[in-house]
Amino acid sequence: MSDTIVEPFLKGSTGRNTRGILRLSILVLIAAAAIASRLFSVIRFESIIHEFDPWFNFRATKYLVQNGFYDFWDWFDDRTWHPLGRVTGGTLYPGLMVTSGIIYHALRALTIPVDIRNICVLLAPGFSGLTAYATYLFTNEMSTSPSAGLLAAAFMGIAPGYISRSVAGSYDNEAIAIFLLVFTFFLWIKALKVGSVMWGALCALFYGYMVSAWGGYVFITNLIPLHVFVLVCMGRFSPRLYVSYCTWYALGTLASMQIPFVGFLPIRSSEHMSALGVFGLLQLVGFVEFVRSGVPSKQFATLLRGFVLAVFAIAFGGLVLLTVSGVIAPWTGRFYSLWDTGYAKIHIPIIASVSEHQPTAWPAFFFDLNLLIWLFPAGVYLCFLKLADEQVFVVVYAILASYFSGVMVRLMLTLTPIVCVAAALVLSHLLDTYLSIKSPSAPTDADIDAASNAAPAPSKKAAKQDGLRAMREPLVGIYTTFSKTSVVSALTAYLLIFVLHCTWVTSNAYSSPSVVLASRMPDGSQHIIDDYREAYQWLRQNTKEDAKIMSWWDYGYQIGGMADRPTLVDNNTWNNTHIATVGKAMSSSEEVSYPIMRQHEVDYVLVVFGGLLGYSGDDINKFLWMVRIAEGIWPDEVKERDFFTERGEYRVDEGATETMKKSLMYKMSYYNYNALFPPGQCQDRVRGVKMPDQGPVLNTVEEAFTSENWIIRIYKVKDLDNVGRDHAAAASFERGNKKKKTTKRRGPKVLRVE
Amino acid sequence: MRPLAIASAVLSFAATALCVEQGNLTKPLTSRVILPSTFKPPQNFKNANLVHIVSLEKSHPKESINVVIENIATTPQDEYFIPFTARQMETIGGLEVKDRKDPEAGLFEVEAVDFDIESDTQFYRVRLPKPLAPKAQQTLGISYSYLSALHPLPATIAQQDKQYLVYTFSAYAPSAYVTSKQKTEVKFPSTVVPEYTIIPGAKGELESPQKQGSKFTYGSFGEVPAGAVEPVKVRYEFTKPLIHVSRLERDIEVSHWGGNVAFEDRYTMTNRAANLSKQFSRVEFASQQYYNPPSTAVKELKFPLKVGSLDPYFTDVIGNVSTSRFRSNKREANLEIKPRYPVFGGWNYPFRVGYSADLKKYLRKLSSGTGYVLNVPFLEGPKQPEGIEYEFIELRVILPEGAENVKYSTNVPLVTAGISLHQTFMDTQGRTTLTLTAINIVDEYRDRELIVTYDYPFFAILRKPLVIFVTFLGLFAAAWGIGSLDVSIRGKRS
Amino acid sequence: MHFLKGLLLSLLPAAAFAAKKPAVDKFQQFHAKALSSAPLKLDDAVYTQLTSAPRDYSVAVLLTALESRFGCVLCREFQPEWDLLSRSWTKGDKQGDSRLVFGTLDFTDGKNTFQSLGLQTAPVLLLFQPTIGPHAVTETGPIRYDFTNGPQSAEQVRSWIGRYLTDRPHPQVQRPINWTYGIAVTTTILGTISFLSVAWPYALPIIQNRNVWAAISLISILLFTSGHMFNHIRKVPYVAGDGRGGVSYFAGGFSNQYGLETQIVAAMYGLLSFATISLALKVPRIKDPKTQQVAVLIWGGVIFVMYSFLLSVFRIKNGGYPFWLPPFS
Repeated sequence: MSDTIVEPFLKGSTGRNTRGILRLSILVLIAAAAIASRLFSVIRFESIIHEFDPWFNFRATKYLVQNGFYDFWDWFDDRTWHPLGRVTGGTLYPGLMVTSGIIYHALRALTIPVDIRNICVLLAPGFSGLTAYATYLFTNEMSTSPSAGLLAAAFMGIAPGYISRSVAGSYDNEAIAIFLLVFTFFLWIKALKVGSVMWGALCALFYGYMVSAWGGYVFITNLIPLHVFVLVCMGRFSPRLYVSYCTWYALGTLASMQIPFVGFLPIRSSEHMSALGVFGLLQLVGFVEFVRSGVPSKQFATLLRGFVLAVFAIAFGGLVLLTVSGVIAPWTGRFYSLWDTGYAKIHIPIIASVSEHQPTAWPAFFFDLNLLIWLFPAGVYLCFLKLADEQVFVVVYAILASYFSGVMVRLMLTLTPIVCVAAALVLSHLLDTYLSIKSPSAPTDADIDAASNAAPAPSKKAAKQDGLRAMREPLVGIYTTFSKTSVVSALTAYLLIFVLHCTWVTSNAYSSPSVVLASRMPDGSQHIIDDYREAYQWLRQNTKEDAKIMSWWDYGYQIGGMADRPTLVDNNTWNNTHIATVGKAMSSSEEVSYPIMRQHEVDYVLVVFGGLLGYSGDDINKFLWMVRIAEGIWPDEVKERDFFTERGEYRVDEGATETMKKSLMYKMSYYNYNALFPPGQCQDRVRGVKMPDQGPVLNTVEEAFTSENWIIRIYKVKDLDNVGRDHAAAASFERGNKKKKTTKRRGPKVLRVE
Repeated sequence: MRPLAIASAVLSFAATALCVEQGNLTKPLTSRVILPSTFKPPQNFKNANLVHIVSLEKSHPKESINVVIENIATTPQDEYFIPFTARQMETIGGLEVKDRKDPEAGLFEVEAVDFDIESDTQFYRVRLPKPLAPKAQQTLGISYSYLSALHPLPATIAQQDKQYLVYTFSAYAPSAYVTSKQKTEVKFPSTVVPEYTIIPGAKGELESPQKQGSKFTYGSFGEVPAGAVEPVKVRYEFTKPLIHVSRLERDIEVSHWGGNVAFEDRYTMTNRAANLSKQFSRVEFASQQYYNPPSTAVKELKFPLKVGSLDPYFTDVIGNVSTSRFRSNKREANLEIKPRYPVFGGWNYPFRVGYSADLKKYLRKLSSGTGYVLNVPFLEGPKQPEGIEYEFIELRVILPEGAENVKYSTNVPLVTAGISLHQTFMDTQGRTTLTLTAINIVDEYRDRELIVTYDYPFFAILRKPLVIFVTFLGLFAAAWGIGSLDVSIRGKRS
Repeated sequence: MHFLKGLLLSLLPAAAFAAKKPAVDKFQQFHAKALSSAPLKLDDAVYTQLTSAPRDYSVAVLLTALESRFGCVLCREFQPEWDLLSRSWTKGDKQGDSRLVFGTLDFTDGKNTFQSLGLQTAPVLLLFQPTIGPHAVTETGPIRYDFTNGPQSAEQVRSWIGRYLTDRPHPQVQRPINWTYGIAVTTTILGTISFLSVAWPYALPIIQNRNVWAAISLISILLFTSGHMFNHIRKVPYVAGDGRGGVSYFAGGFSNQYGLETQIVAAMYGLLSFATISLALKVPRIKDPKTQQVAVLIWGGVIFVMYSFLLSVFRIKNGGYPFWLPPFS
């Protein structure tokens, strides 16, 4: 009945157009869903930049928009890493900022009064829509079933593994990088299939964009050569391969070297050597193939092969030699810690201290991918049906990415796309099989049936010779409607659960801008805790323009972005010693840290204290990392052991060790805290311990501001005493006489003593 | 066309004699009349009786002079001069003169006289509506106030100490003429006045001041020559913030298509109260919160908006401030905002407040042709018991694109007025924008209305949809054209 | 014999002159002993004698508990490094220019010392600075080295000691070349090469067989996605007992896990994907409608139950997780 009506729409060119329009609208809907599901935080709170790194990107973007591209390119930022400063223009990946800068100027050209902040906040969701589309294209290259691409796009749009880094406001490099990653891979596959220079060049172009956007480009730099290498080992060398890879490598390397931060790394560092080696290998193989095609002699061919192997071995040896001799930089710590997993823990505490560099436990996988995680292997298996070049790519990608994501939580990001693709492949295959209207009446018309559902048909051809054991028998199809309905309904149920899961995860886990905290009032209404911005705004308005703020590096970017004040260290942890200096100042006694602060011209010290509110991410909980990092540089001045009691506990109450109680961080966290409680009831709600009634005494710094819920405490570093006493004496004198005498009288600032 | 519009707009308001060019906003501007530098006000008048009231209840002193003037010349006179020192001229705000007998007669025309920059005495010239016949008398009500004229003493106090302010003025009212009888009344916010100048009574008169409650009276004094000064200094308790807005930018955007009018006020606010002698202590502050003692900190600002104001917002440089409450119903629309932190003496807190309202409440279409009349409050700042002073106000009325022949009128003393274009939301030509600036305004001027009339021709209304339509048409055409091109290198397939 | 003499001498009043000569002898004799067998194996008596002031030499004593009943893993891990360090150091300066004596005091031999020092933990490395002589330092107490962050390599400890023995030679650590290891590696490599060369014609089909590769890649993927790397890095226990003597298969908490747990999860994933594959590929190839019907039911049921179980397991790990499927709720 109905099919008679829809008949003309499914036939011929009209049919093609109908399907085209249908596909387009579905894609648009998917993109809309992808964007919408990332707006929780904007709706709950406001359009605000999220946790830490995004604040730097936001600040850099504003700088770019105000001062133009060239100033941005050679931007020396003297308001961070005081007194060293940072060559920001040369040490960042400009892709993100430039992208949003372009969008901003385009909109301004249309005289649309849009705020740069809103562009930055909404960039990630916008690009997630594009990512969905890129995934669609990529998957279409993998499978002949049109539904696979759409499924993959849908998965990619709502998979929490990707949402985690791309909710509105998390304005980080990954926001655009994942789109570039997937799209580059799509272009690579396209180039490989067609063997055209144009696609190869396009691939190189987007690879360059990717390099400019994210440090994770190294993943592409190694994955594509690996793919090529595997293909060559499988004896799949072809002119297509040669053309596409050489185009990509030559142009892509040139493009990547245009980024100041990358510079000459592509020819000097080990991360990039695999690409170079494979490039050389391809030349050799190509040469051999060429000669062999000319010279039919068998022995000569074998000779050549031997020659090739020899040359390759020699080249590899040379590479190793160069690395050892230091001409080629060895692996950078971050990258190296991917292989030698114990490395970072011992040698680079800063890297180990970052939570997103921890290994991944299995719940994280399930949390981020839900049912995709078990559809994933099936999809990979499906790729073995017809093992064309692109399927090989999927397999390689799958294995490599799952290894990396197992080692580092944040690399779940690179795994998600391929998981979505593989899962979509198998799921579409299932649906195609179980949704085909016509059932086989007898085994004989299996072929017609096979023709009807597109996916398995070619695989069956491929299955004839050395197929998978699953493919021995010829395809028949599903007989009963019951089995079809049962399977399809079950799948639908799973997919519904998946959607619910994604929404739940996104709204509960990934949508809080850790700048603003939400809490529930007794009556259930939402109460917003805004201490960070309260304190930052106070700094911005009521301290002098160039007041140096010392804090632990986590808050450097936020202070730079929101308080607009110079900082000593920030989240761009390029200088371990400087960070260790701050760590030392925080973890030593006042007498030790005051000279350090003077030498660094510190005016204010900012600590985060969650004791009153029960906010667990505060500095006392991060304190041990400060100690460790400081100990790395001054092993005999700062000792982690001294912060543990004899019984090896980390305590902050009366039982705390002397070193702990003397340390500046401890004092600043708990200074005056007991005055808030009636005697004997002062307690720390994070550590859940009772604090001593006698609070710590501060001599060299004085409390300048404390936010409403005590989360942020700002201290002013006292000037040298103008009578020349040391601060302890001065302070005790102050306390001694009851008269409130103003401490405003200050001598002139003394010069820094080196 | 436009120059004419500007001209008419400028001429339409009497008080602004000529339009000073924009930009030099550093030194306070006032409208000035140029007179020869050897100027002395002719002694045509005599102040028969004068009452000078200095009210210190708010965070800025407000003085008002009720004087009976008498023409002692032989010809009718209509120019009455009031002298001020140069420093006073800088900070004086909102000088208004009206007839006490019939206040409905409206304000008299007042201009600052400009004759010699070096001279310490400057004049305001009051032009009486009709010349005063010889021997005739008239009662003038002169009122004005000074900005940032109060100073805390001591300059730094502890967090919950009381604050004392010092104000210096003259017991004799400023006058360019002989005054036969006058007295000065000082109204204090409370009876706590630790220090004040005592003037010994001359020949039998009792000494000044006489106190009743929080009101002090100096005088009455007998005949006083022109320009005489009797400095008086008082120090009194005033434990309230001295809110000082150094710059207020107010945008009023009218949208006929949207049918609403959007307000946005950007305040640069500081608290001139006594600074903290020690650093801020959260413990003390938190302990005070329960019983709420008078404090010099700005904890909350209340905006009584016009009824029917919609979706207000309160943000600052780093985003939305969640501590604001908006209560709106049939009778009132109160916006109460709390700064992120209590603003103590010497602290700054710049912020912006915005809201929108239904256009119908503010706009009326003239029966004749395409004219419209817009009636908006000139200033809708917070209403605080201690008052607020605005050093500089820039008001922009953004009219729809293509509005022309703009006229305006308000009884707030303005400094400059101009008309420019403002490009936004895919404007092709830009929106007509009326920019008014005023200085030294105190919050008595809240709710003074600003009336703007303009023409908005029919074509201008249709301009935007047409433009957008044409643009998209062009886009589609271009897309189709490009799509139909075949740029492939290999020859056509057959 | 030596002991008595040493004890006597050390009991003598520590007048500079009187103490200097025997102290020299003391160092010489210990150094001589060390040359034969470094580090010195100490007990309470020798320890006191060695570390008694006055001394014009430095002593590095490792207080450790090697016996297995103390269960001090760190001690046993560090011991070879320590021996290596002391040996190579002592070899490094035969003349004893660095005037440093290495000693090891095991808990079994030196209970009293442990008690007197009030040591709770082992191992602890004490460095005694000279009290007299050219390198004398003011504070007489030993400098303590705690092994807070794991077992240290000989080089690290050497650099630590070197920091206190300024203007004295710091002999390098000579690690002996591990011959057996090298030989083993080379032999295995050669063996594999020869084996391959022999078995190539037979191995080739296996290498080129898709199923093998498919199996390999699937297994590795299952391993990685079930958190095997986490076990590898964090060295989690294979399985832990719950309080009541039973075995708890699933670790509480979102971000920790047991070895067995990950294997169970991997198995679940594997089963689920296998069922999916069979539904997708095998079932449509079954000729007989009845068997096909049954197969569909079986595999569908397997997926359903397994997935439901997986969800329930996840609810254990993550408290507030709201979704579930029957039968496991």
